[in-house]
This record gives sequence, C-alpha cells and structure tokens, in this order.
Amino acid sequence: MIALLIPMLLPIVVGVLLMVFPPRQRNVMLGIVLAALAVDLGLAVWVALQPEDALRLTLVTVTEGLTFYFQVDTVSKLFSVLVAFVWLLAGLAAFEYMGHEENEPRFFGFYLIVGGVLAALCYSGNLFTFYVFYELMTLTSAPLVMHELTHEAIMAGLKYLFYSVGGAFLVLFGFFLFAAQGADLTFTAGGVLDASAATGVARLAVFLMILGFGTKAGMFPMHGWLPTAHPVAPAPASAVLSGVITKAGVLGIVRSVYYIAGPELIRGTWVQYAWIGLTLVTVFMGSMLAYRENLLKKRLAYSTVSQVSYVLFGLSLLQPVAFVGALLHVVFHSLVKDGLFLSAGAIICKTGRTKVDELKGIGKEMPVTMWCFTLAGVTLVGIPPTSAFVSKWYLATGSLASGIPAVSWLGPVVLLVSALLTAGYLLTVSIDAFLPGSDYDYAALEKHEPTWQMLVPIVVLTALAVLLGVWPGGLTSLLTGVASSVL
Amino acid sequence: MTGNPILLLLVLGPMAAGVVGYLIGRRNKALRDGFAIAVTAVEAAAALLLLLAGGEPALSVPGACGMGLTFQMDGFRGIFATVTAYMWMMTTIFSREYLAHSRNRNRYYLFLLLTLGATMGVFLSDDLFTTFVFFELMSMASYVTVIHDEKPETLYAGGVYLAVAVIGGLVALMGIFMLYSVTGTLQLSELLAACQAAFPGNEVWFYVLGGCILFGFGAKAGMYPLHVWLPMAHPVAPAPASALLSGIITKSGIFGVLVLCTRIFAGDGYWGFTILLFGVVTMLLGGILAIFSLDLKRTLACSSMSQLGFIFVGMGMMDLLGEENALAVRGTILHMFNHSNLKLVLFMAAGVVVMNLHKLDLNDIRGFGRKKPLLCYVFLMGSLGIGGIPLFNGYVSKTLIHESIVEYIELLEEGEGTLTFAAADSALLFHVIEWLFIITGGMTVAYMTKLFVALFVEKNRDPAVQASFEAKTHYCNKATAAVLAVSATVLPVVGLLPNLTLNKIADLGQGFLNGVSPEHAVNYFSLTNLKGGLYSILIGAALYLVVIRGWMLVKQPDGSTVYVNRWPKWLDLLELVYRPVVLVLLPTVAGFLCRCLDYVLDGLVLLVRKTTHRQLREGHLLPKGFEGAYLLGSLFDGVVAFLNATFCKRNPIQADFVRYFADQSRIYDEAKREVMSGVSFSLMMFGVGIMVVVIFLLVM
Repeated sequence: MIALLIPMLLPIVVGVLLMVFPPRQRNVMLGIVLAALAVDLGLAVWVALQPEDALRLTLVTVTEGLTFYFQVDTVSKLFSVLVAFVWLLAGLAAFEYMGHEENEPRFFGFYLIVGGVLAALCYSGNLFTFYVFYELMTLTSAPLVMHELTHEAIMAGLKYLFYSVGGAFLVLFGFFLFAAQGADLTFTAGGVLDASAATGVARLAVFLMILGFGTKAGMFPMHGWLPTAHPVAPAPASAVLSGVITKAGVLGIVRSVYYIAGPELIRGTWVQYAWIGLTLVTVFMGSMLAYRENLLKKRLAYSTVSQVSYVLFGLSLLQPVAFVGALLHVVFHSLVKDGLFLSAGAIICKTGRTKVDELKGIGKEMPVTMWCFTLAGVTLVGIPPTSAFVSKWYLATGSLASGIPAVSWLGPVVLLVSALLTAGYLLTVSIDAFLPGSDYDYAALEKHEPTWQMLVPIVVLTALAVLLGVWPGGLTSLLTGVASSVL
Repeated sequence: MTGNPILLLLVLGPMAAGVVGYLIGRRNKALRDGFAIAVTAVEAAAALLLLLAGGEPALSVPGACGMGLTFQMDGFRGIFATVTAYMWMMTTIFSREYLAHSRNRNRYYLFLLLTLGATMGVFLSDDLFTTFVFFELMSMASYVTVIHDEKPETLYAGGVYLAVAVIGGLVALMGIFMLYSVTGTLQLSELLAACQAAFPGNEVWFYVLGGCILFGFGAKAGMYPLHVWLPMAHPVAPAPASALLSGIITKSGIFGVLVLCTRIFAGDGYWGFTILLFGVVTMLLGGILAIFSLDLKRTLACSSMSQLGFIFVGMGMMDLLGEENALAVRGTILHMFNHSNLKLVLFMAAGVVVMNLHKLDLNDIRGFGRKKPLLCYVFLMGSLGIGGIPLFNGYVSKTLIHESIVEYIELLEEGEGTLTFAAADSALLFHVIEWLFIITGGMTVAYMTKLFVALFVEKNRDPAVQASFEAKTHYCNKATAAVLAVSATVLPVVGLLPNLTLNKIADLGQGFLNGVSPEHAVNYFSLTNLKGGLYSILIGAALYLVVIRGWMLVKQPDGSTVYVNRWPKWLDLLELVYRPVVLVLLPTVAGFLCRCLDYVLDGLVLLVRKTTHRQLREGHLLPKGFEGAYLLGSLFDGVVAFLNATFCKRNPIQADFVRYFADQSRIYDEAKREVMSGVSFSLMMFGVGIMVVVIFLLVM
C-alpha cells in the first residue's frame, strides 16, 4: 500500500523545504512545523488502526536480496505512534525553548526529517531497510546535537556520530553473515534462522548485533555518547534523543533477536548470559553515576543509560512476561524521560540554572513544571500506582519466572537497588525544589513559569505517565499478544 | 468492577477531596479547613456505618495498576478503617488551631487527605498487591505532612523517614515478587493454602521472602533495628501529624506483619519466635530510650516504639501458640486499638503545649500544665491508659498479651512447645521474656510519670516563667478542647467496661487473625491478672525514683533541679552505622567502580589516540608552556623591535622569534619524547646497560 509512504515522506519533505526556503516570519514557520507534526501523528494513528495484512509495501529492489520493504505489525504500530506523539509534544516545547537560539529553521528542519526517518524505521519490514534508515537516523540527528555549534557541542556531536557508526558496523557484520548464508531477512515473529543448525559464528554475529544496536540504547560498554551528547544538545533535542532515539536501538534489538535470529538461537548460550550481565551492569552503573552527578541534564542522561537497560534486561531474559514488561517500559520511560528533560529545559530556558545544587526553591518559582518533574520522578522510581511500577512488576516477576540460575533473583535485586538510587537522584531534586527551608525568602519570590507551549507537553506527558500506571490494561493485553507471537 | 463501590469511595474519596480542598484553599482558607473537617467526618461516619451494617462487603477492580486491586471490609479491617477515619477527623479539627499561623497549609491539607485515602486503602486491601500500592502511596504522602515546618532539623528527620520508607518499600517489594512468583496469588484468602502447597518443607527461600516483607512493613512499624526514623520524625512533625504517624500509620506496618503472621507463616513456631525476639528487643529499647529522653514528643515517640514492641510480642505469641492463640490474637488486636487511641490523646495534648510554647524540652516546659485542669485530665487519662493501670484501657490488652506468654509457659511445662531447638523450648527463656515484659510495663509507668510530674506537678526553675505559664488561662480554643476531652474520655470508658466494648471489638476482629474464641471469658480484674499489673506499677515507681529522680534530675547550685540527658551522645545507630555505610561507604566504593566502567571505552579510545593513532603536528599554533623559548623569543623580538625603530627604519626585519623558538623547542621536545618512547631507543638503552654491566664485570 503506497499510502504507507506518506507518514515517512511528509515530515522529510516539509523539513527539507523548511531549510531550503526558510519562512521570513517565525510564526509561519512554527505553524508549518506544528501542522506537519500534527498531521504526522494523525497518519501514524491512522496506520495503527489499519489491519496488519493491508500494510505491506515493496518499494524498490536494489539488487538480489536487498529490497526496500515495509510492513507494519503491532510493534511497528506501538513505536510509530509513540514516536509521532512524543515528536509533536517535544516539538511544541521547542517553540518556546528555541526562541532564544539561532538558526531555528535548521533545527526544525532536521527535527522533522528525523521524525520521518524514525517513522520509516518503525515501518521497516526487513533488516536491510531497517539498517539504512538506522544509519540515516544517526546522520540526521547529529545536527540536533551539534545545534549550538560551540566547540563542546561539535565534539559531543562527533562522539555521538562515531559511537553510533561504530555500533552500526557491528550490526553490519551480522547482516553480512546472515545474508551470505542465504537467509531471507524479512522480519518474522520468532525469527527466520534455524536455531538447531546454529553455529558459533552465528551466535557471535547475534551478540555483535545486540552490542551494535545497544550502542544507541546506551548499553555498557557503548554508552559513552549519552552523557556527553545530552547536556550540550538543546533540551527538546535531548528529550527526544533520550526518550525516543535510544528506543530505536531497543527496536533494533527486538527486531534482530526476536524477528531475525529468534530467541531459541541464543537461549541458554553465552550470548544470553553475557547480554544479561551487560544490562545489569548498565542498570546499576547508570543510576550510580546519575546519583553522583551534579549537572541536571547529565544526571538525566545517566538515568537514561540505566533505564533503557531495564528494557534490555527484560528483552534479554527471553521470557514472555519480561518481554511485556520491557516494551511497557519503552513506552513509560519515553513519556517520563521526555517530561523530565522538557522540565529541565524549562528550568534552563527560564532561569538559566543547570546544576542540581542551584535548584533550591525552584518549586516555588515554577510550581507546575516542578510538580510534573516530581510526579515524573516518582514514576521513574516506580512508586505505585504510577506506570513504571507496572513495568517493573512485569520485569521482576518475569525474571523470577525465567528460572535462569542466579539471574532470576539477582535481576530484581539490581532493579530495586537501582530504583533506590533513582529515588536518591530524582526525589532529592524535588525535595530541594519544594522545601527550601523555613528561612526561605518568600518576599523575593519571582514566578518563572514557562508559557503554555512548554507547559502543555510537560503536563500531558506527566499525566499520561501516571495514568497509564493506574490503568495499563489495553497496553498490556496488546503486548501480551506480541509476546506470545515471538516467544 | 464488581462488589460494593462504597469501599472504593472510602479510598479514593479523600484523595479527590484533597485536590478539591487544595483548589478551594487558593480562594478561601477558612472554607478549606471546614471542608477538610467535613470530609473526614463523613469518612468516619461512612466507615462506621459500613462496619455496623456487617456483611463483609468486598470489591475488586480488575486491571487497575496492572494486577487489579481488591478490597474487603471484614471485622478487623472495618475496625481499623473506622479508627483511621476517626483519628483523622479528630486531628483535622485540631490542625485548624494548631497550624493557624503556619505557611503552606494548603499543601498540608492536600497531603493529609491523600494520606487518609492511602491509609484506608492499606487497611481495606484484600491482597498484598493492593496493600503494597497504598502502603507506598501512604509513605510518600505522609512525608509531606511530616516536614511541614521545613526547619533544617525537620528536613533532616524527614529525609531519614523517607529513606527508611523507600528502602523498606523496595525490600518488601522484592519479597512480594518472590512470593508471587512461587504462589501465583497474593489474595489474602488464598495465600495460606498456596504457601503451604508451595513450601511443604519450610525451605530457606520461604524465610528469605518472609524476611524481606517483614523488613518493609516492620520498618514502618518501628521494629528494631529499623526504628531509627521513629524517634526523629515524631518530634519534628506537626502534632496532628505525629498523632497520626504514631497512632495509625505505624499500625499499617503492623497490618503487613499481621498478614505475614496469619497468612504466610500461620502457626509456624520459628517465625513466631523470631517475631517475638524482635518484639522483645523493640519493646525494651523503646522503653529505655523513652526513660532517657528529655523531649516531650520524643519520649512519646519512643513510647510508641515500645508499645509497638508489645504488639510484636503479641504477634509472635500468636504463631507460637498455634491452635490455642485466642489470648494472643485478642491481645494483639486490642493493643493496636488501644495504642491508636492513646497516642491520639497524648500527642494532641503535647501539641497543645507546643502550640503555646514552641518548645519541647522538659526543662523549658516544666510546670506549664499547672492550674490547667482540662489539659491535666487529658494527659492523665492518656498516661494511666498507656501505663497499663487497672481500670484503664491499656491494662486490658497488656494483660491479654501477658496471659498468652503465661499460657505458652504452661504448654512448655507440659512438653507441648512448638519449637524443636532446645534453647527456645525451655520454659526458663519464656519466664525471662515474661519478666522483661513486666519490666517494660514498669518503664512505661516510669516515663509517663516523668512527663506528668514535669508538666503538671513541678514548677519551672524560673519563677517569672512559671507565673507567665499560670497566667495563660486561654491555651486552646473550644473546638480543640472538645476534641481533647472526647478522645480522652474514650480511654477510661473502654477500660472500665471491657466486656461491653473491648471484648466486642476483639470478637469482631479475631476472624481475620485466624483466632478462635477463648474457652472461657477472661476475667481482667481477677487477682492473678491484677498481680501482673501491680508488679509493673511497683517496678515503674522504683525506676522513676531511682533512675529519673535519683540520676537524671541534678541539683543546681541555686537549689533548683534540672533534668540532664544521660544518654551517651555517640550511641546512635543512625549516626554510628547507617549514615556512614549508606551515604558514604557504599556510594564511594560503588561510585568509583562505576566511574571506572564508565571510562572503559572512552579511555580505550583515548589510549589509542595517544599511542598508535596519534594526531600529526597541528599547523603553526602558538604553543604554550615553553617558558624558556618564550623568554628567549621575547628578548629577540625586543631586540628586533628596537632595531626596527632605530637602525632599520627603511627595510624593517620581518621575524617572529617567539613563534620560531617555541616551534623549535616543541619539535625538539616531541622528537625527544618520540625517541625516548621508541623501541629503538629502548634497545639502545638496553645495549648501553649491558655494556655497562659487562665493563663493570670486566673491571671487577
């Protein structure tokens, strides 16, 4: 169905046009951006509502075995709607944030292009297509990181590029190997490779693919770009970088393990154990470093390192309940982390404060923003009845049910220790923000609340993050269906 | 959603009302106060009516929070839901005057009502998942009411409270995960059978998961060694919040432990013995700390800890006694009920003192209560009740728990103990525990006498201050006075008529605790039972005279006396162990390791760039740091400038010696470094070394 191209191409075309012919008036440009993002979300929802069989599209065959092919399954639908939704909200927040930055058309142009590329990534139907758009995403999102063009920003952008490209090369090894074996690398639930005939090299290839896609997802040892790139990128860019683009790495791992290699290929082998080990190390390391970090955005970046590895841990167990927990956490973490980064952006934008120890009493100056920050923080810790509690419940019970020796109970312990550290690095910010002490000078209080353009996204993201925990029913049943198809 | 929706309303209603109250409070403060009182009153009435209507209404909300929430109100849960709402009503009325001049009251009322809803959720829950959800919510929401005045010491104590709550919650969650993964259910009605099926041989894991859950709920219930937050948080919280914290929020922790004792480890002697030991330590330590404390509210807080220890003893006996647990079950229920009511009265009375003086030290508030009959009556009722004086409510429940120990001793002497290891099965050990129980009862008498005498009998050291105290006839408004009088009068009434009141409550509640009705009604005022109470009073009098009056009260040169803190300052579990370990040692070590991991790849890249992939010489940037070259270059440049200005005006010399020398010196440095680090240089040095050695050997 050729209509599938519209949600991918529309933002890309609008983005390119925006850069080539930048509108004179700012409001016109913002209007165009907003319209493009809203239409894109509408299209993503429309695609999600179609029956799965209708959505197949073979675009062009480059050569034998290399075909641009799109197909939409439940995972695609989930990721694409999530991406479009977050893209719209973060874009709206960028209207106010980017007001004091230069080169706005360039930023919004690339912003739209990355949105389109991500949609294509979600709809990709085979590994080749996925790989092409994955690289494209890296290249088009680097300008978002480098936007300010300071020495620091450029170096951080380069680091982001090198890490990502390096990771992608690891993926390429697996792609070449499997393609050389003559496998049809179309995404098929449960995998296309024959687990019984698996060789050691094939397992190594899967491991390298995990490591490669894990680069985007911030998995140790390839997580180094995250804490460097986030603090220098403009806040809306770091929000989507952390909330969505890391999830593209997760999607890559889901596709390569569950839709290409098949879980049976690595179950019980060194690949699975090494993978579990790496995720657990990352979970702990990320929150520990976040706990000891003073720069707010860097703290949030380390937090992302830790939280995305919750997702990877769930995936690495190859267990249905944990799989559901992992994909739930993709959604919940995306909402929460975008909310947190946009709140941090609002603080930077309105008060210029970037360090945690400067935030005493900020809750009195920006009550709505900090209320959302607090609720999002409580959600990330996993205090019931918020959403991350639900995903962690699934992750932990799935881990205990997996029956893998030692890991089955060690995993939940690491998750809980990390939750404690999360409380340590997020709730302390909220406490300082709202409880400046009895000697706080209320007379000198100035309100710094941002305008609706920033508040609406923050409030919507936070509200969803909390409410989805109270009523996750539809989402869980949807994902349980996916889990039973792949495992 | 199936069942009685009123249950959900009892839980969510106050939370929604909290938000409404917040919005009202932005416009009209008086209206908000009234609204909050009305909400709690309606809540109390609804809970009571639902309890009286009977029929054990239940409600399940499948799908909520992922696992579905279930509620039920049977006798026990009905009683404590009603007590919760009743206490909230009383303290909310009291809050109006207590906080009349404080900031951020809107926030306080919002979180007060949120905490009410969450606490109701804990007490009405019908599965451990629901219990946990509301338990966490309650911990978080109550934190905000504790730190209300935002003073540094308040924030510090609040931080400890929150830390213990979060850590406890996470550990309990781990236990619940393990329980759920094995049994597949968390429904209270199914847990017992499921646990017996899953753990036929009492495996180690069974106790590990039990210990995890106990850690979480026990922390809230002030169990040693997790009690550290209790003596800190109570004194700094506003008095209404302390009353709730001590009176009912600690009981929600007890509720969790009760679920463990009755639904997971029912009749398990080892478990009962462990709980008993924790109870004895908590009870004794609380009593000792309360005797030493010189702070009015801190004494009451330590007293709470001690009384919670009594409840733990009751719960331990419940599991030890197995089938014949009637006395222990009834004692546990009644002590929970009595302690809630007692602490409501005592903390509100203390609140009146704080409200007037803003001080808590016994030496400062000494004599405040003189010539204030109402306050004296209220405090006296509370003191007599908690001291276990016959004819007051505390006596009844303490007697029941004491009797249960005596009953177990009888069983042991008949050779029917439930334990199998010799030390725990000896009657002697339980005689010791019985005496510790009586001694702790004596401590209660001693520290309550200390408070009462200091407040109402003695005079302040400073006669002027005493005069100002006595001149203060209007120390609280009518609403507060009414609340105090009503809640205090409840105590002797139920104590005097235990058969009409307390026994009924025990009958209602014992079903939840798998209790069987006792074979014959307990005669609380028989001679044997009175004897135990009498011993306690005698020991208490002795302790008061010897320790408090003899040791802690010191005569000053001017003839007056002062209470002195005799507790060694360094002896503080929190400062001595927990803080250094949790906040310094672990984060430093783990942080260092994580930092190393963080740098692994970046460090590798850096290493490669500095060694095998070193970048080539970069253009003609002016290098820094070559001082000698710079000086020399500046000198030459100066000379050139001088020459240009004097002799070579026509065709000036074009030269930049600073740059030239700097470049030369850097080239030299780099060459030197490259030579020094090169393999050939090493080989050469190696050769030189060998030659030196050979020459040395030859010469020798």
